[in-house]
Amino acid sequence: MDFDFTQEQAALRDSARDYLSQKCTTQFVRTMFEDPTGFSKPMWKEMAGLGWLGLTFPEENDGLGLGMVELALMLEEMGRAVFPGPYFASVLLAGGAIKAAGDKSQKQKYLGGIASGDVIATMGMLEDAPNWDAEGIALNAQAGGGGFVLNGMKRFVPFAQAADVMLIPARTSKNADPGKGISLFLVEAKGKGVESSPMKNIDLTNKASEVRFNNVMVPEENVVGEIDNGWHVVQKVLQQAAVGASAEMLGAARKSMEMSVEYAKMREAFGQKLGQFQAIKHKLADMLVDVESSHSAVYYAAWAQDAQSADAALAASVAKAYVGDAARKVCGEAIQVHGGIGFTWDFDLHLWFKRAKFYEPMFGDAEYHRELAARALAG
Amino acid sequence: MDLNFTPEDIAFRARVRKWFEDNTPRGEMRTLDERKAWHRKMYEAGFIGMGWPAEYGGKNARPMEQAIVSDEMTRANAPSAVNGLGTSICGPTIIVHGNEQQKQRFLKKILNADEIWCQLFSEPNAGSDLASLKTRAEDKGDHYEINGQKVWTSGGTIADWGILLARTDTTVPKHQGISFFLINMRQPGIEVRPLKQITGGSEFCEVFFTNARVEKENLIGKLNQGWMIAQTTLGYERGSGTLNRVTAYMMSLRRLLGATRKLKKNGGAAFDDLLVRQKLGRAFVELEVMRYSGLRTLSRLEKGLRPGPESSIAKLYYSEYGKRYHEWVMEILGPYGNVLEGAPPEFSGPDRIDGGGQTAWGVSFLGSRGPTIYAGTSEIQKNIIGERVLGLPKEVRMDRMQSKGE
Repeated sequence: MDFDFTQEQAALRDSARDYLSQKCTTQFVRTMFEDPTGFSKPMWKEMAGLGWLGLTFPEENDGLGLGMVELALMLEEMGRAVFPGPYFASVLLAGGAIKAAGDKSQKQKYLGGIASGDVIATMGMLEDAPNWDAEGIALNAQAGGGGFVLNGMKRFVPFAQAADVMLIPARTSKNADPGKGISLFLVEAKGKGVESSPMKNIDLTNKASEVRFNNVMVPEENVVGEIDNGWHVVQKVLQQAAVGASAEMLGAARKSMEMSVEYAKMREAFGQKLGQFQAIKHKLADMLVDVESSHSAVYYAAWAQDAQSADAALAASVAKAYVGDAARKVCGEAIQVHGGIGFTWDFDLHLWFKRAKFYEPMFGDAEYHRELAARALAG
Repeated sequence: MDLNFTPEDIAFRARVRKWFEDNTPRGEMRTLDERKAWHRKMYEAGFIGMGWPAEYGGKNARPMEQAIVSDEMTRANAPSAVNGLGTSICGPTIIVHGNEQQKQRFLKKILNADEIWCQLFSEPNAGSDLASLKTRAEDKGDHYEINGQKVWTSGGTIADWGILLARTDTTVPKHQGISFFLINMRQPGIEVRPLKQITGGSEFCEVFFTNARVEKENLIGKLNQGWMIAQTTLGYERGSGTLNRVTAYMMSLRRLLGATRKLKKNGGAAFDDLLVRQKLGRAFVELEVMRYSGLRTLSRLEKGLRPGPESSIAKLYYSEYGKRYHEWVMEILGPYGNVLEGAPPEFSGPDRIDGGGQTAWGVSFLGSRGPTIYAGTSEIQKNIIGERVLGLPKEVRMDRMQSKGE
């Protein structure tokens, strides 16, 4: 039993924190607010050089061959730095699906491309209804012309404006069981018939788009995994996305808590430091309990993914349900502790509040994952 | 990071489980002798004081082994050891702060339950602010004379000995005038009255001292060092609660789940109601997080690291969880939750550990108000977290500057 990070894991976290605190300052983050692609190409190339863009990919695909624990560490640091860019979309979502179900040449081309920074990938999941179950997938893919023709729409597609390729789950056949008949396609983001229009988020560091597919031709070789049997791949990716989103929220929450503690030690009111008042001290103590409990939840869930533990799916739901609530509370209370300055645009605190809020509904909100937990309890 | 139990831990757990399956007494234990016999049986099996150093009769057991034994006791619904306070608090204090004569005199009899121990710290006007205690110990030459009152004394009616904090100097600031004594509970100057709790049960007592006697040789450490000794008392049963608390709640949650399948709501089973499922889901999620955090604590303890003030985080989490959990139980069961007797068995609570039938959910609910008060209230825990973990400045404390006076 060892809940601590290995030396290698701790070194990865330290180098991520060093790099991001130097390069990804909040000053830089703010320059990305109005940038249509939302990320810096030179920084992306540097991250490729550090190996981070292929963190979890096999070594034969130019990856580092690491696991979910390391990816969670990286994402926690990115949450802490409010890193703007398609890392989650490219590495965890699209990369994760291709890693799980792609064939040899797809892995070579796309995982290798993502790892080198030459290819930016994303994944479109939600459509009209923000539904994380298989029923939500209605986008139609019709066999024909030596491949498939896609018609339909995806919303909330992360960093579609920056992406070269999109992994799109679509319906290839209709069945009583909505989990059957879903296939995965790699679609050129700038291809014929693909139209993206931005959906601007309150978290200005997380870009998203509505993407319309009008008779988009996808060649046979761009089908990832088996026809009609793609849902289990999506489920696996959603599980890891739930853990990854929790890690980002944890990073945002811990940073918000740390800023609040520092503020409470420095700011004076009524002749005392703010942190001397129990009204504030107890709030901060509650925040620490939430943050440390979230740490336990995130890294247990990440370990369970890597160990393929029997409770891996449950642990992902536990993490997303718990950390979603906890980060909401911690980032919100941080604003309360700071008072008026916390409500201003120029003070940075709202960056983390918004990052945490962005991930709350993504990949299933707390209510959704509590329902999954209740089902797991009932067995 | 590796959250698997080692093969040794798994094998140890299997042995412990088998032992409790074979040896746990069935049916209600009615007498003190029966409870002592059960304590001794567990002691002989190596499960009592197992974290104590071997030279004092312990087993030098690792925190993980202690946690596994507690966990299997809970799983088997085994009655607790009758001298639990003796082995968890009183004995370890004597080991760390006592002299050789005191160790020889007391430790063995603690382990084999020949002498039952209690703790005499809290007073009616000294709870969270324990250092303001008023019970006095006066030097009478060959002994100390004790006058005052203690409260919240577990096992006071069966105790042979107690650890006592009493004031020995009223002229200095309050933390500096307290001494730590061992007191014989079987003497005329001590009166023990059971205290009835909101649950209707009496697990605690009030203890009244009228010219009671403590021999000089039963002072622990030096005079007026009592506060420091009470603060630095090192339990040897570290981590022992981390797994079994989760198991106990899991057993309760499974029982609740069973009730929701039988309970009717909106023309179907309550379990099919989405609001009920949200509560069950939340209870399970927060319990799993408690389990993960417990494993994290155990992993630190296994490396020889002290939990330190971080243990306040665990205390706060589980005690506050207990309140929330029981609120959900009561919401889900509606009027059945309020019933003490006369409810159908499927809507009654989990089995009692003493084999005396089922608990009522309402009693567990009432009981859940205790843990956020005893062993340091939630507010005290938050002060500890704020000041010792987060490093926030201390609040202005008038009492640190003044002598106690009279």
